[in-house]
Amino acid sequence: MFSRRALEALTAAITGAFGIAILVQSLDNGIGWSSAGVESGTFPFMTGLIVVAGSLYNLARGWLRGREIVVTAVEFRRTVALFLPAVVYVALIPLLGMYVTSGLYLLATLRLQNGMSLLRSVLVAVVVSVGLYLVFEWSFQVALPHGLLGAWLER
Amino acid sequence: MQNFDLLMHGFSIAISVPHIALMIGGVLLGILVGVLPGLGAPNGVSLLLPITFGMQPVSAIILLSSIYWGALFGGSVTSILFNIPGEPSSVATTFDGYPMARSGRATQALATAFGSAAFGAMVGVVLITCLASWIAGVALEFGPAEYFAVYFLAFSSFIGVGGSPPMKTVVSLTIGFAIAAIGMDTVSGQVRLTMGIDELVKGVNFVVAVMGLFGIGELLIAVEEEMHARAVSSRIDWGEVFRTIVGLPRHGWVLLRSAAIGCWMGITPGGPTAASFMSYGIAKRVSRRRDKFGTGEPEGIVAPETADHAAGTSALLPMLSLGIPGSATAAVMMGGLMIWGLNPGPALFTEQPDFVWGLIASMYLGNIVAVILVLLTVPIFAALMRLPFFIIAPLIFIVCVVGAYSVSNSYLDVVLMMGFGVLGYLFKKLDYPLAPLVLAIVIGDKAEDAFRQSMLMSQGSLGIFFGNALVTTLVAMGFALLVVPPLLRLIGVWRRPVRPA
Amino acid sequence: MRTLKFAAALIAATTLAAPAFAWQPTKAIEFVATAGPGGGTDNFARAVQAAIVKNKLLDQAIVVVNKGGGSGAEGYTYEKGMAGDPYHLVFGTSNTWQQPMVSKVAFKQSDFTPIAAMVQDEFLLWVKQDGPKDVKAYIEAMKARNGAGKMGGAQSKDTDELLTRMIEKTAGIKMIYVPFKSGAEAAVQLAGGHVDSHVNNPSESIGQWKGGTQRPLCVFNTKRLAAGPKITATEGWSDIPTCVEAGLNIPLFQQPRTVWLPLKVTPEQTAFYVDLMKKVQATPEWKDYVEKSSQTQVFLTGAAFTDYMTQDMERVHKVAEEQGWLVK
Repeated sequence: MFSRRALEALTAAITGAFGIAILVQSLDNGIGWSSAGVESGTFPFMTGLIVVAGSLYNLARGWLRGREIVVTAVEFRRTVALFLPAVVYVALIPLLGMYVTSGLYLLATLRLQNGMSLLRSVLVAVVVSVGLYLVFEWSFQVALPHGLLGAWLER
Repeated sequence: MQNFDLLMHGFSIAISVPHIALMIGGVLLGILVGVLPGLGAPNGVSLLLPITFGMQPVSAIILLSSIYWGALFGGSVTSILFNIPGEPSSVATTFDGYPMARSGRATQALATAFGSAAFGAMVGVVLITCLASWIAGVALEFGPAEYFAVYFLAFSSFIGVGGSPPMKTVVSLTIGFAIAAIGMDTVSGQVRLTMGIDELVKGVNFVVAVMGLFGIGELLIAVEEEMHARAVSSRIDWGEVFRTIVGLPRHGWVLLRSAAIGCWMGITPGGPTAASFMSYGIAKRVSRRRDKFGTGEPEGIVAPETADHAAGTSALLPMLSLGIPGSATAAVMMGGLMIWGLNPGPALFTEQPDFVWGLIASMYLGNIVAVILVLLTVPIFAALMRLPFFIIAPLIFIVCVVGAYSVSNSYLDVVLMMGFGVLGYLFKKLDYPLAPLVLAIVIGDKAEDAFRQSMLMSQGSLGIFFGNALVTTLVAMGFALLVVPPLLRLIGVWRRPVRPA
Repeated sequence: MRTLKFAAALIAATTLAAPAFAWQPTKAIEFVATAGPGGGTDNFARAVQAAIVKNKLLDQAIVVVNKGGGSGAEGYTYEKGMAGDPYHLVFGTSNTWQQPMVSKVAFKQSDFTPIAAMVQDEFLLWVKQDGPKDVKAYIEAMKARNGAGKMGGAQSKDTDELLTRMIEKTAGIKMIYVPFKSGAEAAVQLAGGHVDSHVNNPSESIGQWKGGTQRPLCVFNTKRLAAGPKITATEGWSDIPTCVEAGLNIPLFQQPRTVWLPLKVTPEQTAFYVDLMKKVQATPEWKDYVEKSSQTQVFLTGAAFTDYMTQDMERVHKVAEEQGWLVK
C-alpha cells in the first residue's frame, strides 16, 4: 500500500516543515552576538538550518531508494484500527472527561473490536475508570479532566 | 574512620521497628508512583509531606527517601515491559530491556535491572559515606564552562554508536535540540519557538515526548508487525529471579565501570540521565558483544541501570551539603527540611550529625528493603506480559494519555503525545534513531544554557573551555570520544574484538 | 491516610458554622503555584494551604498545582483561561506585571483580579566568605574589575537582574549579569567562586551563610531585618546593615508574593478570598512560615494593592526602558 519512497518523502516533509518553522520563529529572537551574549535565536536558527538541509538530503536519498512496499494494505488497516479509536478517545476527553471516556474507549475496543463478552468488557472498563479515579483524584490529588460533562454535573 | 563511627551511630538510629516499617511503607508507595507514568516520586513525597511535620526529622526523611528509592526502581518496570520510560533516566534501559522482555525473558530483564540498580545505588552510598566532604568540594568546582563540558562529554560518548544512516542521526539530534529550545529561554528571558501556541511557553515536557515516541510509536509498530501473534509465555517464577541475581557478577566489569561513570556524573552535576546514556554508549563501544546490543543483551540493561542509580544516589549528597536540589523530588524534600527548621548546606553535617548520618544509614537499609520488595514483585509484573495484546494495547494508550495529562494538567500535552507517537512510528519504520532525539530533548537546553552562560562570563572568548585543568580534560575527553573511534575504524584497528579488561 | 483525610473532611463539614458571606465555595479549590516544587512561590502557596487546612478555615479541599514552566508564565497563562471560575487562585510574585513588560508572554496583569499581596521577600547582597568585607570594598573591587565582575542571579530580566542594574547605576559600576535557573544555583556558583556576588532572598542562602561559604553585605530595606536567632556564631539577620547605611543608596527593594483570581468573578467572590487570606495571616502556621523564611508580612489589598502595583510598574518600566528590555 505504501512504498518506502512514499514514507521517506512524508517523513522528510514533516521534519523539513518543522525545520522551516524553527527558522522563521528564531528570526524573531535575534541571531548573533549582543551585549547580553549569544542571542537567543542563534542556536534554534542553526538547528533549523541543519534540519532543513538534512531533510532535503533524506528526501532525495529516500526517493532514489527502491519502490518496495513497506506497509501492506493489511498492515495499514491493522494500524489504523488501533490508532483511530485512540484518536477519537483523545478527542472526546474535553467533552466527557477522562474517566468516562477511558471507560467507553475500553468498552468499545474490547467489546466491538475484539468481541470480548459484554459482562467482561464492562467489568474491565468500570474497574479501570474507578481505579484511575481512586489512584489519581482520591489518593494523589491529581485532578484529571472532568470535561464539559463534569462541569454540567457539578453545577 | 571518623565517618565510620558516625555511620555506625547512624545505623543505631535508623534500625528500629518503626523506622523499618516506615521504609517498607515508603518503598511500596514509591514503587506504585514510579510504575505509573506521569506520577513520580514528587507526587508521593508531596502527598506525605504534611503528615511528616509531626514526626522527628530523621523519621520523616527516612520515609520520604524510601519513596524516592521505591520510585527509582519502579520507574524501570514500564520501560522494560512496555517500552514506556516513566522518567528520563530510564530511557536507556528500554534499548535492551524491552527487546529482552518481548522475547519472553521479562523476569530475567526485570531482575537484571533491579539487581544492577541496587549495586549502583550501594556503590553510590559507600562513596557518600567515605568521601562526603571531598565530594562536596568537587561539586563546587563546576561553573558553567565545566557544566557544558560534562554535557558535551555525555553527547560525544553516545553519538555515533548506532548503525543508523548518519544524516538521519543528524536530523534526529537537531530536532531534539530544537524541541528542547521551545519555551522560555533562561539566559535571555525570551519566549522561543512557540509556533503561535501560547501554552508552549512552558516548553515540551520530556515525559510527554518519550511516552509518544517510545510507548505509542512502539505500539503502532507492534500491531503492524503482528507482534502480538507471538505469544509471550512467562511463568511466575521466583527461581528465575534468584538465578539472574546470582548470575549478575558475570558482568562484574560492566557493573564496576557503570557504577564509576554513575558516581562521577552524580557528583559532577551531569545527573542520572546523562550518566545512563553515557554508560550505555560506552558499554556498546567496548563490549565484546556490542553487535548484540539493542536486541536484548543483558549488558545493555546492566550498564544504564547501574549508572542511573549510582548517579541518583550520589546526587543526594550535593543536595545535603550544598543545598542544590538535583531533582524535583530533592526540591520537595528540601522544602520539607526547611519546614522542619533544618537548612541544607555545609553546616548541616556538623550541626545535625544525627540527622545526616541517620539518613545515610537509611540509604543502605532503604535500598536493601527496596530491592527485596521490588524483586518479590518481579514475577507479578512479568505476568502482565501474558495479558492478550488486544487488552494491553488500549490500556497502554490510557496509561500514556493519563500520564501525559498529569505531567502538568494539560490537554495540549496529550495531543502532543499522540503527535510524537506518529513521529515515533515513522522514525522507527525508516531507521531514524530515537535515542539522540531523546538525549537532545533532555539535556540540549541545559547544554545551550551552560554554553551561553560561559560565553557571557568570558565575554565571547572560547578560551573559557580551556581555562583550567578540569574543563580542558573534560573537553579533550569529549573530542577524543568523538574522533578516535571513527579514526580507529578507518585504519582497521577497531575491528579486532576488544577484551573487557 | 484515606481515613485520616475522610475524618478531617467530616470534622470540617460538621463543625464549621457558615460565616455570613454572600458567596461560599461549593467544591474543591485549586491553588496554581507559578513555580516548580520547592520554589519560593510553591512554598508560599503550600504555606497558605497548610494554614487553611490545619485551622479548618474552609470546608472544601485545596489542591496545589505546580505550573512553573516559562518562569511561571505557564501558570499565569493557565489562570487567564479560567475567566469566570472562582475555584482557581494563582499564586505569584511581581512577575504578574513585570514579565509581560519584558517578554512576549500571553498574559498581562489586567487579565487577573487582584486579591492581595501577603508577604514581601527581602533581598540582600551576598559575596563569597573571603570576598570584599563591606559594601564599599565591594564597589571598589567591582570598579577594579573594570566591567568583568560577575553577578549571578535567577532568571533573566527578572527581579534579580533588575536589582543588579539598579546597583550598577547607583554605584556607578558595570557588571556581567549571569542568569541561572534558580537562586539556589546562583548560591552554589558563588560558593565555587564562579561569580563574585548575587542578590538572593534570605531563605535561598541561609544554609550557605551558616556553613561559612558566603555572607551578606547589606539588606535592601529601609530598616534592618528582625533579629531572630543567631545564624553564625556571632551574627544574626539584624546585624546586617541596610544598604543605605552601608553606602549603597537603594533604600527599598522587595519581592511581593501575590494572590489573584481570574477575571469575571463577582465582587462577593473576591471579598470572600480577601477575607480568607486575612484569616490565614492570623494563624500560627503562617507566622511560622514568615519567620522561618525571614520575609516581611504585609497585607495589601484593594486600592492599596493597586497603588503599590502602579508604583512598582513605573520603577520597572524605567529600568527596562533604559536597558532596552521592553517588548515591542
